[in-house]
Amino acid sequence: MNLVPCSVVENRELTPGNFLLTLKVPRGFTRPQPGQFVHLRVSTVSEPLLRRPYSLEGFVERGGIRAVRIYYSVVGRGSKALSSQPKGQKLDLIGPLGIGFSPRPRRMPILVAGGRGVAPLLFLGRKLRERKRPFIFLFGARSSRELYGVRDVRGGRLHLATDDGSVGYRGSVLTLVKREWETGGHTPLNAEIFTCGPHGLLHEVAAFADAHGIRCEASLEGPMACAVGACRGCPVPLHRAAAGNGDRYPAMCVEGPVMDATVVDWERLP
Amino acid sequence: MTPNLEVHIGSLQLRNPVLVASGIIGYGIEYARLVDLDAIGGIVTKTVTRHARAGNPPPRVVETASGMLNSIGIENPGLEGFLESKVPILRELPCAVVVSVEGEDVREFCELVEGVSRVGVAHAIEVNISCPNVGPHGLRYSTDADMAREVMTAIRPLTTLPLIAKLTPNVTRIADIAAACESCGADAVSLVNTFVGMAVDSISRKPILGTVVGGLSGPAIKPLALAKVWEVAQAVDIPVIGMGGITSPADAVEFILVGSTAVQVGTALFANPGLPEACVEELGSYLRRADVASVVDLIGALDVPSERGVIRAGRHVLPRARRGSAS
Repeated sequence: MNLVPCSVVENRELTPGNFLLTLKVPRGFTRPQPGQFVHLRVSTVSEPLLRRPYSLEGFVERGGIRAVRIYYSVVGRGSKALSSQPKGQKLDLIGPLGIGFSPRPRRMPILVAGGRGVAPLLFLGRKLRERKRPFIFLFGARSSRELYGVRDVRGGRLHLATDDGSVGYRGSVLTLVKREWETGGHTPLNAEIFTCGPHGLLHEVAAFADAHGIRCEASLEGPMACAVGACRGCPVPLHRAAAGNGDRYPAMCVEGPVMDATVVDWERLP
Repeated sequence: MTPNLEVHIGSLQLRNPVLVASGIIGYGIEYARLVDLDAIGGIVTKTVTRHARAGNPPPRVVETASGMLNSIGIENPGLEGFLESKVPILRELPCAVVVSVEGEDVREFCELVEGVSRVGVAHAIEVNISCPNVGPHGLRYSTDADMAREVMTAIRPLTTLPLIAKLTPNVTRIADIAAACESCGADAVSLVNTFVGMAVDSISRKPILGTVVGGLSGPAIKPLALAKVWEVAQAVDIPVIGMGGITSPADAVEFILVGSTAVQVGTALFANPGLPEACVEELGSYLRRADVASVVDLIGALDVPSERGVIRAGRHVLPRARRGSAS
């Protein structure tokens, strides 16, 4: 982890409000793992004040050039400021940060993505393909427009769901998860889940995993101030049993953002 | 000529007047790769409480216009945990270490001051009597001059380390609280802690912070903080450590001009970890530009026209050298 300068190679609006950002980073930038994030200065002025944490969609290495990719939606002041940064703009970031997905899953990985939460799972899927590991990719979004990156999923079996039925199954990706589990011949010994998306979906996936004894890693999202474990501003509430003796709040930035989904108290996580 | 940046807080000699505020940098180690601790005066640790605290429920931080609201709730391992797991880290730091402590009552403050003094890692103790996020006792000791006196009187005999009373701005007359601390043996006062603030989500009709209200920091509060520092610097003879919204290196100079002997960088460090070091550099170059030999000569060197002539901001600073000789 270091503070490094970066510059915008591309900041393209793929679908209304959804952007793919490519940032060139120095040659010495540590190779990030899927699920790790960077803490990005989204503008060169002091407004917005704080950096924004972004999970990585990918890491590109070509010759001596390294770049990180971020898939983001405009949802607030930070992402709005970021969306107006032109090609060539110099920014800086701290990273790579946090704990990513387990890099070498021992069981069949079932990747479960909701909306823009697909980003770190596309990164994970690519890594699995590089290692010639088969996987299952279940992806749900509101409509076909938001199914970002589906053509990029190779080496895995892909199933889609949309709320409006414009592509794939009409309904929640959770149904795909249940169906896959019932018909795929999986057991907790030979399959595990990696998920990222809205916390409501993660809660449902975690509950399903917990009920069936399935190992489940979820990538969490939330506001962060320091992102290095110092300020304690990004607490993750845990179930009583997992918190141990009394309350304990792991910091999402250093003990996450990828965590065991079955110990997170989703009711208390905003 | 290299300007002299050295300042004194009681018996604590700082190589330069730039500290990082409590709650920002943890125990130093978290930011060791991002902040050059060799370049700054020192750090103030995350506040240590008598017993471990899990902190407040989320959300704990929210960004507001040019500011940040927080309700962390002093998540920390408690005195025993601090002594066991944090002191070894602090011993390795290449800068002054000010340990911040907060007690729920006078007895806890005493136990903390004794415990921290005994272990010999702190260069000074900041007495946090001004946290807005730990329940009713948090602000009690710094919103009431009598209660501030009670704490300071009790802890003063227990340590030879410099005691810095950290004050809240959420009072009618902060100078009274500062004077009360001074009269009971505080070596310095530091201010301001955060302003009590609130953020609301009109769609959900809910407060954004888990604790409803929290503490506001960041550039939004800088003018408010400068006014409080200015007020206190005129009321006490002990050093004032100024903070509140320092975002650019020039801000540090402003705090010194209104009467701060040292400054603390806070929230803006999250965006710019190089800020404390940049403040040190700016102080040096400001002194060179102004042809002033020592930063001590800058303390309270604000020119304020009045009917009685120029008011000095800090009474504790003796002769002002070469003011007006700026090129």
